[in-house]
Amino acid sequence: MKQVWSVIRREYVERVKTRAFILSTLGMPLLMIGIMAVVGFVGFLSEQSERQIVLVDQSGQLGERVQQALDQAGYDVELAAPGTAIEELDQQVLDEELEAYILLDDATASEAVFHYRAKEPPGSVRSQLMRAAIVEEVVDLRLGQMEDGEAVRRLFEGGSLEYEPVGLDEAEAEEAEAERISGMITGIAGGLILYIMMLAYGAQTLQSVLEEKQSRVVELVISSLRPWQLMLGKIVGVGAVGLTQVAIWIGCVALLAGLALPGLISAAPDLEELGQVRQYLPGPGAIVLLLVFFLLGYFLYSSLFAAVGAMCKNLQEAGQAQTPLIIVIIVPFMMQMMTFQGNNMPWMNWVALFPFFSPIMMYPRAVMGDVPAWMVALSIVLMALTVWGAAWVAGRIYKVGILSQGNRPNLRELLRWIREA
Amino acid sequence: MTQNGTAVRLTGVRKTFGAHTAVDDLDLTIEPGTIYGLLGPNGSGKTTTIRMMMGILLPDSGRVELFGGPPDFERRSRVGYLPEERGVYEKMKVLDQLVFFGEIRGVARSLARTRAEEWLERLGLSEWASKKVQTLSKGMQQKVQFISTVLHDPELLILDEPFSGLDPINQDVLEEIVLEEKERGKTILFSTHLMEQAERLCERVCLISRARKVLDDDLKELKRRERTGVVAVEFDGEAPRIAWPEVLEVEQVGAAFHLSLHDGVSPEEILGAVLAEGVSLRRFELLEPRLHEIFVRHAGDPGDDDSAQPAGGAS
Repeated sequence: MKQVWSVIRREYVERVKTRAFILSTLGMPLLMIGIMAVVGFVGFLSEQSERQIVLVDQSGQLGERVQQALDQAGYDVELAAPGTAIEELDQQVLDEELEAYILLDDATASEAVFHYRAKEPPGSVRSQLMRAAIVEEVVDLRLGQMEDGEAVRRLFEGGSLEYEPVGLDEAEAEEAEAERISGMITGIAGGLILYIMMLAYGAQTLQSVLEEKQSRVVELVISSLRPWQLMLGKIVGVGAVGLTQVAIWIGCVALLAGLALPGLISAAPDLEELGQVRQYLPGPGAIVLLLVFFLLGYFLYSSLFAAVGAMCKNLQEAGQAQTPLIIVIIVPFMMQMMTFQGNNMPWMNWVALFPFFSPIMMYPRAVMGDVPAWMVALSIVLMALTVWGAAWVAGRIYKVGILSQGNRPNLRELLRWIREA
Repeated sequence: MTQNGTAVRLTGVRKTFGAHTAVDDLDLTIEPGTIYGLLGPNGSGKTTTIRMMMGILLPDSGRVELFGGPPDFERRSRVGYLPEERGVYEKMKVLDQLVFFGEIRGVARSLARTRAEEWLERLGLSEWASKKVQTLSKGMQQKVQFISTVLHDPELLILDEPFSGLDPINQDVLEEIVLEEKERGKTILFSTHLMEQAERLCERVCLISRARKVLDDDLKELKRRERTGVVAVEFDGEAPRIAWPEVLEVEQVGAAFHLSLHDGVSPEEILGAVLAEGVSLRRFELLEPRLHEIFVRHAGDPGDDDSAQPAGGAS
């Protein structure tokens, strides 16, 4: 057993030390923050108009309101003096003294149709922002002229579903709501993490097996170690790397919520609303369950990935041979995406019981409270049994495969390997 | 180190890959404490034989025994095996890799580290200890791998072509180590296609060609038996005209004359004849056949044995 530890340690240390691991661990959160920042920044940048925009109001009632609205949307807009000649403004645009001007007329006041006159069409961000600002002002104006304007405005806003919990007082209801949102967030994040881990670390197990086989190091290792010990050590070592990564991510979120957030809020009281984020964070139960699903799912897939690695000669071959496994991981993820979009059909709960689909489909359902507890328990039992069976089959394929230098076995030869190993 | 019985014994071992017979009906016994050479050209079945000893391949028929039993896990761990295809973890550091191999062979981590450092020192690789293996030259990688073979101080060393790829200086170092290990009571089996190496090191050799055993004998015994009746003579000053009736053929090799004698002529008779000429003799030597010649005599030219290997086959 000591030797298995050596294999685990080697596999773990050698992987954690790699640049790829450090980059992907830091990179994932940074990438997400970065993407959000870049998207925001680019939008902001592109809307920093270098030249001026002038507003011409021929309707006589919208000018100031629209100017204010556009100002709030971030545009520096000058309201033209009444009676400014359009020809003059056109000339300024042609001379590139003016980037554009906006013409509001009677049609604007009635239907929010306005004119944007410039040499180049507005970007999509600009046209969205301007249209939204102006439409809102026109609606405001028109509703203000109506007797029951307020009621119509609420109607426009899409009405409202007022949930009235029966048998719960207000505080309890709020708590239940927070729990629901928390379950939703945990479910989505957990499902995503499981999906990424199964794929990424399963593939790493395959690679690790294949590398040893190709370089024939395995022939040396196997003279001191039983094949199943080597396979177990590999799977555990690679899995521990995956767990480390997830633990770092979860730790970062916890640290952020526990320490950074209160500090931030006390420094900048306007951000107090951010404090609500904390009530949506998953509880320890959800994290333990994540761990259970991770371990079972990871063992299930990675032992099969290891078997695939053992029966192939090179990466190209392995790329083909692993396709069925990848499909079995992607299909439940697609189905889960449908569920997240609100198309959960009861029969899908039964599909989630299928052991190969359970990690990705059952975990989110469990934390979101979509399935009864007995189904979750049943799926864990089914998965455990499947892990046991898969490990047995994979171990036998592995044992023969790593020492065979011939072609990839077909199904019949594979069955013979399993029988005779 | 006490050893009972044989270190390795093969009985009627046969292995085929498809239509190709890699090893055919091979019997072989290696006594403990000896240096045994498995000789033969490329593709003759040496590596396949060794891989069967290590349990990497299973024979189609026949029996393979290590230390008097099947080559199971326990027995294999008493062997230090250097495969022909050098397998290393390219991205690992040299010392880490050696410690790992020591550990999985049951050497405690700290001891494995000490031993690895000693070996690296000895083979002039100390400054490479914390470099990645892939940055080392092929020869250096081979030395690293040799260290991982002996790190757990095995009773039996099975070395598949240990000298190929090493420069002459390192070949000498390795030869020295092999002899030293024998002094310490270890058994060494190595395969090679280089006859000179085998000639210098081995006590017993097994020649195989085209999957079959051709010769298997004590090296001294073999050479005595294969002696051909050629003597080399060298003279100081003018050489006499060589026309003794006992001599069948004369060949000049540098300053020396190789005289092939007629059957039944003893070396002493020809020595008498030479001395009778009244010349001053610098050298008179009974030539022993070189292993290479013996091999050619028994198996044809070793050069022509390179048949294509099927997938899964090994030389």
